[in-house]
Amino acid sequence: MIGRAVANEFAKMRRLRVVPVAAAMTVGVVALSCYALAAPGFPESVDDPAERPWQWLLGSMALAVLLVSPVLLAVLASRQVDIEHRGGGWLLSQTSGLTPGALCRAKFAASGAVVVAATLAQSGLVAAIGGLAGITVTFPVGQWLGYTASAVVVNLVLFALHLWLAARTANQLVGLGAGVLGVFAAVSGTGMSTGVAHFLPPWGYYALSVPVDVREAGVVSLDPPYLSVAALGVAGGALFLFATRLFDRREV
Amino acid sequence: MGSVRAEFLKLRRSMSWVVVVLLPLTAVVAGAVNTVVAGEPLEDHWHTLWLRAVVFYGLFPLVLGVAVLASLVWRVEHRGGNWNALMGRQVSSLHVVVGKTAVLAALAAAMQAVLVVGIVVVGKLVFALPGTLPPEYFLVSAVIVLACLPVAAFQSGLSMLMRSFAAPIAVALLASAAGMLLWMTRIEALALLLPHGLVGRATQMGTGMLADSGTVTAGAVTSVVVIALGLTAVVTLGTAAVLDRRDIR
Repeated sequence: MIGRAVANEFAKMRRLRVVPVAAAMTVGVVALSCYALAAPGFPESVDDPAERPWQWLLGSMALAVLLVSPVLLAVLASRQVDIEHRGGGWLLSQTSGLTPGALCRAKFAASGAVVVAATLAQSGLVAAIGGLAGITVTFPVGQWLGYTASAVVVNLVLFALHLWLAARTANQLVGLGAGVLGVFAAVSGTGMSTGVAHFLPPWGYYALSVPVDVREAGVVSLDPPYLSVAALGVAGGALFLFATRLFDRREV
Repeated sequence: MGSVRAEFLKLRRSMSWVVVVLLPLTAVVAGAVNTVVAGEPLEDHWHTLWLRAVVFYGLFPLVLGVAVLASLVWRVEHRGGNWNALMGRQVSSLHVVVGKTAVLAALAAAMQAVLVVGIVVVGKLVFALPGTLPPEYFLVSAVIVLACLPVAAFQSGLSMLMRSFAAPIAVALLASAAGMLLWMTRIEALALLLPHGLVGRATQMGTGMLADSGTVTAGAVTSVVVIALGLTAVVTLGTAAVLDRRDIR
């Protein structure tokens, strides 16, 4: 049953232009990340391991992700759920044997796959552009993959939150408003200590995932709290399951 | 005038206050919290506080806030049979489009008022700054409101064309990212002509950030105001022409 529901969600995406929105997220992140390539001194640093050009690019991508993702994930979630509010989809699904909670989980499985694909694509594209820009220093595979995995987890948790918000209230102002305010939380998290940023879930975890920092001496590598990001993923998943089960008890 | 009054009546139960109040207050609180957490003092008192609260707000969130409000203003027309009622209206398309833009202008002005009051309150109560906000920032505030007009008109047009609440906001995000890139790469002529980039110029005024010299000059104010009014007129007329050619559905 749930497999069919997921396939149905993919079918709905075709007319909802979900792929262009996901592509916009990827293009936005890649475009803002590439600003690092135009920074003064960057072209001269591509051969110098001491200048850490990959880390500059990674830091730039991390900043772009926390600026672009909160709003576009809210848009993606809203697009996928709003049609159910407009067309009486909740009632139709329930009478077809698919409860509102199960429908939400199907939406998460289908659209979440698009979110994961978009996040992996933006990470891969930024790395490819770095290579094309002529960076010859050894590529920091572990650091890059660690950040990408963290971004996937935070994006999925935030997407689940926005799906829940979009399903909970028919007025999409709430979800989109939360997305816009989330940009502030994500940006503020970068200026806070690790301990404080933990208290701004899930937006603050974008900042926690950033594996580099720019200091007077230049760019330095950090040791991001991957365990905290993993804990966010587990807690977010459990809360989403619990919240969507509660939907099944509501009168449609 | 009746169209404008009708639009204000539609706003009553729309929850637009959530964006109007929360967004600028979040900008002020974020600026204050970042200052406190980073332990960096306000070296130049009110100027530094204004800079920390307003510059980032103008690059991204303000434009998105106006886009959310534009979607909200048009949301009612896309529900039920309201679109067909709109198509059978007695007033011209221009009246409808001007009414929507006027409502958005009023909401943008309210957002700016909340921002200014928030900065004054935080400056006085949290940082105990001497005096009050320098008068040039009241002028800059008026310029910011005027710079919001083309964005309001453009987003209103998009929200008229798109039934989805969220899709115009995605466009606004991409346009503001483009505006931000244009400012960072100093392609200023294009950034000024992009409605979403123009807001960024207005919020930089007097801060010395990106393209700004650090002082509020008559030339900078005049150029932003003239471009804002010109763009608003063009976009509003274009939107009215498009609305004229729409049909019932």
